[in-house]
Formats: sequence, structure tokens, C-alpha cells
Amino acid sequence: MNALFEGIILFALELFAYIAIYLVVNEGLNIQLGITGVTQFGLVFSVSGGAFTAGYLATRLGVWIFRINTGGLDFISGNIVLTSEVDTFTQSQPLNGFALLLLIIFAAGVVGAVLGIISSLPAINLRSDYLGITLLAFGEILNTFGTAYTPLIGGPPGIIVPDVWAWAGANRFVAATLTLMVLAAMAYLYIEYVLRTPLGRTFRAIRDNEIAAQSLGKNLPRCRLEAIVIGSVLAAIGGALFVLYAGSVTPSFTRYTWTFIPWLMLLLGGLGSNVGTLVGTATWFTIYDLILYYKYALQGVLPFDVVWLNYLLLGIIVMLILIFRPQGIIPEKPLRTGREAKSSKQ
Amino acid sequence: MALFEAITVAQAMIYAALLALMGVGVTLLYKTTKVPNFAHASFVTVGGYVNLTMIDAFRWNPYWGMPVSFVIVGGESLLLFFLVLEPLRKRKSSVALLMIATLAWHITFLGILGAYADSLQTFLRVPTRNVVLSYRDFTLAGLPGIFYISISATVVAAVALYFAIERTTLGIALRASMENQNLAESIGINTTRMLGISWFLAAGLAGVAGALLPMWSLLNTSSGDTLIAAMFCVSIVGGLETLYGAFAGAVILGLAQIVGTTVLANVVGVWVTGYEPVVPLLLMSIVLLINPKGIGGMKVWKRFKK
Repeated sequence: MNALFEGIILFALELFAYIAIYLVVNEGLNIQLGITGVTQFGLVFSVSGGAFTAGYLATRLGVWIFRINTGGLDFISGNIVLTSEVDTFTQSQPLNGFALLLLIIFAAGVVGAVLGIISSLPAINLRSDYLGITLLAFGEILNTFGTAYTPLIGGPPGIIVPDVWAWAGANRFVAATLTLMVLAAMAYLYIEYVLRTPLGRTFRAIRDNEIAAQSLGKNLPRCRLEAIVIGSVLAAIGGALFVLYAGSVTPSFTRYTWTFIPWLMLLLGGLGSNVGTLVGTATWFTIYDLILYYKYALQGVLPFDVVWLNYLLLGIIVMLILIFRPQGIIPEKPLRTGREAKSSKQ
Repeated sequence: MALFEAITVAQAMIYAALLALMGVGVTLLYKTTKVPNFAHASFVTVGGYVNLTMIDAFRWNPYWGMPVSFVIVGGESLLLFFLVLEPLRKRKSSVALLMIATLAWHITFLGILGAYADSLQTFLRVPTRNVVLSYRDFTLAGLPGIFYISISATVVAAVALYFAIERTTLGIALRASMENQNLAESIGINTTRMLGISWFLAAGLAGVAGALLPMWSLLNTSSGDTLIAAMFCVSIVGGLETLYGAFAGAVILGLAQIVGTTVLANVVGVWVTGYEPVVPLLLMSIVLLINPKGIGGMKVWKRFKK
């Protein structure tokens, strides 16, 4: 196998892994924003919650699963020693590696649900713009805790987490990417399923006409809260997966990367459309990689760091989408239930 | 040992004055355009860098740049309003889309400001990150000049706003457009122009606050970002329905965040200061849970009006 081919494979693996992680997060945003119409400006809150949960628990759970004697070592100062000890076990025990992964996902989901409730509580009964402001204000607050409270994830330098795919050896990234893709597919199918349930139809009724939904006896705050909880669980799982894939966690989850970019992907694909979420996520990463590729050609020519072009271009792209194609690439279509589909064939 | 010193209160008052200049704009724009404006973060930072350019390029006194910041940031907000928000409003886009448009504007300016700060550094060979200018301030009666300047700027802004809105024909037209846009249009008020004026004023004040920022703490391309939660807190604590509530909200938040944290740090321990950014959030949550209309929306005030 020549080096170029290998490079392309590695590039594709990483691209798919990031698409998968972001798809999980974006499905979480779509159920809130696209389907229920909750102005979720604080997605980063649950994402960082899930990420910090993974950071805090991964080594602890590993030590517990493999019955490692910590020898009085602290999980922050002894982070590297203990994590590499867990890694020696995951290298030979794939099943326990998966068990660790699933436990972390479960814990992140629980934390995500709690954070979703906490962040929406002050404004859930109020108008959607109040809710939006509150959620935005909550957004980056966990970074403050992550920085100030060092026992959580070790403060600004962060900590490393065990590699749950260590058993795959040289094929670690293949195993990781495949697992992430399976999980992303599950998140996608779950939202597709929710859309077809009475709950999903209620969500969309609330988004399309609050007053009509209320007059039919739907409890608006309760339904919004349900959407926020489902979405926050998915977003937190996405955050945990990001940490496990990257292998480390720092308190630096920004509004830009974990709220603005997911919004952009959803707008690109089509708000409320489940296929659109997938297409938007994939399209965005393709555009991003192209920008990344051409951007560095400008390095040295411009009197500033090319990083700033990212912000500039993405901000302008969002405004252009909003003005010229607000429905996105694949606009949301009315869902066909089983009976309807049959009767239209007859 | 005293729990806090006079200088802490002075610091809190400066912070409150700057927050008031920012928060009153958030409230004004919410009232006129019905959109919580996330681009306010960029207004503050742009104001700061406009002033910094004047200081570095023309050797201006740090306070001279305030009117320049006011005008340039006002102009920036007109661009945002006419290029982005008007087309969206004409199509009756939802508030969520307007909000994300203002956020996108802010992100765009994060890029522009970053590039600008880098270029300024390259061409003028001056530091443009974490800029502190308090050493260039004057001292009067033991207090830094920013104390007097920021408070008088806020008082001037409050009085000017009051007279412009309550006592002039323009103000009547502006209030009419806030209350009922269609009705205002039917009696011949150009509501789009009224909204434009409100954007110019609101953004200009935020620009002035930005210009004063390096005199009080430090200026960064992300300064506005750091303050955005506090700005919304001021607006909500004061009451989104009443313009002047923002001034009360700013004083409460300023005292709670600066004096409150100092007192707690002296009582509980220094580690408390790490959690200072949580204060606006807690304050906002409490107000939303108890009285979502904020201080300005409380029934007590109606009695005074009678």
C-alpha cells in the first residue's frame, strides 16, 4: 500500500468520524430547533456536560471495571499513570472496552438530561425569545466550572481519557470510526422514529402553531421540555464521543464550535428535515475541508492569521443561506404515515 | 478586616456604567425590532478597536475616540439592519432566524476583528491583544478618570435618551413604531427609518462602552463575547419591556458581581473568584423565575406614573 493511498484512507476515516460525532449532536439540535421550534442557543451546555462527564468518569470507570489498584493515586495528578494502566487492559479486552464505552455514553446521557432540565427551567414557561436568551447565557458556563473546579477535569490543561478502541491496535481509527458511524446511524434512526410517533407530531404542531396546539390541549412547556431533554441527551452523548475519539478533554468548548456550527449545518441541510440534517452535516465538512485546503495557500500573503477567514466566511455563508435559501438543501416534507402511503398507491 | 474597600465599589460602579450603556441598547432593540440582538457583542468590540486605532495611529487621548466609536459602530449596525435583518423581516422570518442572523453577524465580525487586530499589530507594531490602557488614565480625588467619565457618559446617555424619546416628535414616532408598527405606518410614520435610528443609537452606545473598556479592564477580540451574557442579564433583570430598567439592572449586576464576589472571597475563600462569571446567570435565572418582567415591569412603578 503506498503512502498516498494510506493518507487518503486516514483522511476519510477522520472525516467520517467527525461527521458521525456531529451528526449525533445535530440530531439533538434538530429535535429541539428544527422539529419543536425551541431556540436552542446553548447547545454547547449539554455538549460540554457530556464531554466533562466522559473526562471525569472514563478513567474511574476503567479502574473499576478492570479492578485496578490505584495505589492511592489521585485521578488528576495520577491521570496519565492510571489512564495508561486502563489502556493496557483495553488493549487485550475488546468487550470490556465496549462496556466502558457504553457506560460512558449512558452516564453522559443522564447528565445531558439533567443539564437540559436545569438550563431550560428558568424560562420554559415564557416566550421563545426569553428561552433563547437564557439558553445562550447558560452555554459556556460549564467551561467556567471546568476551569475553576480542578477535580472535575484538571482545570485548563485538561486530562487524557482511556482509549476504548485500544484493542484494535494499528486499526484503532478504523474501529473508532465504524463504532461512531453505527452510533450516529442509531441517533438518526431514533429521531426518524420519534418523528413518526404522536410525540413527534405534537412537537411539529407546537412549532407550526403554538395557539392551535394549545387549543387541542397540548401542554406547551412540557412538550418543549421533553424536546430539550431528548436533544440534550443526544448532544451530551455527542460531546462524550468527541472526547473518547480525541483521547483528551479540556474546558474549552466554545459557543462557536458547538452551537453556531451545528446551527449552520442544520440551516444548510434544511431545518426540521431529518435527511437534511445528515446532508447538511456532510456538506458542511466537505466545504470546511476545501476552505482549509485553500486557506493555507494564502498564509504569508495576508498580514493576518488565516484562522480569521473561517469566522468571516462561515458567518457570511449563514447570512446568505438565511436570505437566499432559508429552507436549506433538502426542505422538510410532510411525513407520510403507513396508512397514507398505502391509500395514495391505490 | 473590612469585607470590601471603597475602590471595589468604585470598580463596581464603573462596570455598572459600562453595562448600562450596553444593556440599554439590547432592551431598545428588543423593543423596536423584537429581536434579542447577539451582535451587540461585536458592537462593543468594534467600538473598542476603533478607539484603539485612534489612540495608536493618531496618538489620541483614550477618551477622544468615544464619538468616533459611536458613529462607526452606529454605521456597522445600520449595515446589519439594512443588509441582513430587513430582507429577513420583509419575508416574515421567525425570531429564531433573526437571532441566528445577528449571531452570524457577530461571528463574521469576530473574523474581521481578528484579521484587523493582526494587521494593526503588523503595520503599527503595537500590541492589539489583551490591551490595558488604564496607565494612561488621569486621577482625580484618588479615583481613576474612568470612574467619572463612564458614569457621566451613562448619565448623559440616560438623560438624552429620556428627552429624545419622551419629549420630541421623533421620539413619539419611535414609540409609535414600537407599540404597533402597522398602525404607525398607516399614519405616515416611516417605521423602517425609525428602526434604523434605534439601531444607530443602541449600537453607538455599545460602541462607546467598548471604547471605554480598556480603561477599566482589558480589550480583546473576544471582549464582547465574554460580556454578552452580562448584557442580556442587565436587560432581563431591568425588564425587557422598559427602557430605563436596564440602568437599574446594570447597577444591581455590577454590585452583585464585583462587590458580591469580593465579599464572598473574603468570607469563604479566594477560590470563589473563579466562579464570578456565574453571577449574571444566577441573577437572570432568579429574576426569570420570580418575575419575568424584571424590575421595570413591576407593578410598583405604575403607581408613580399616576
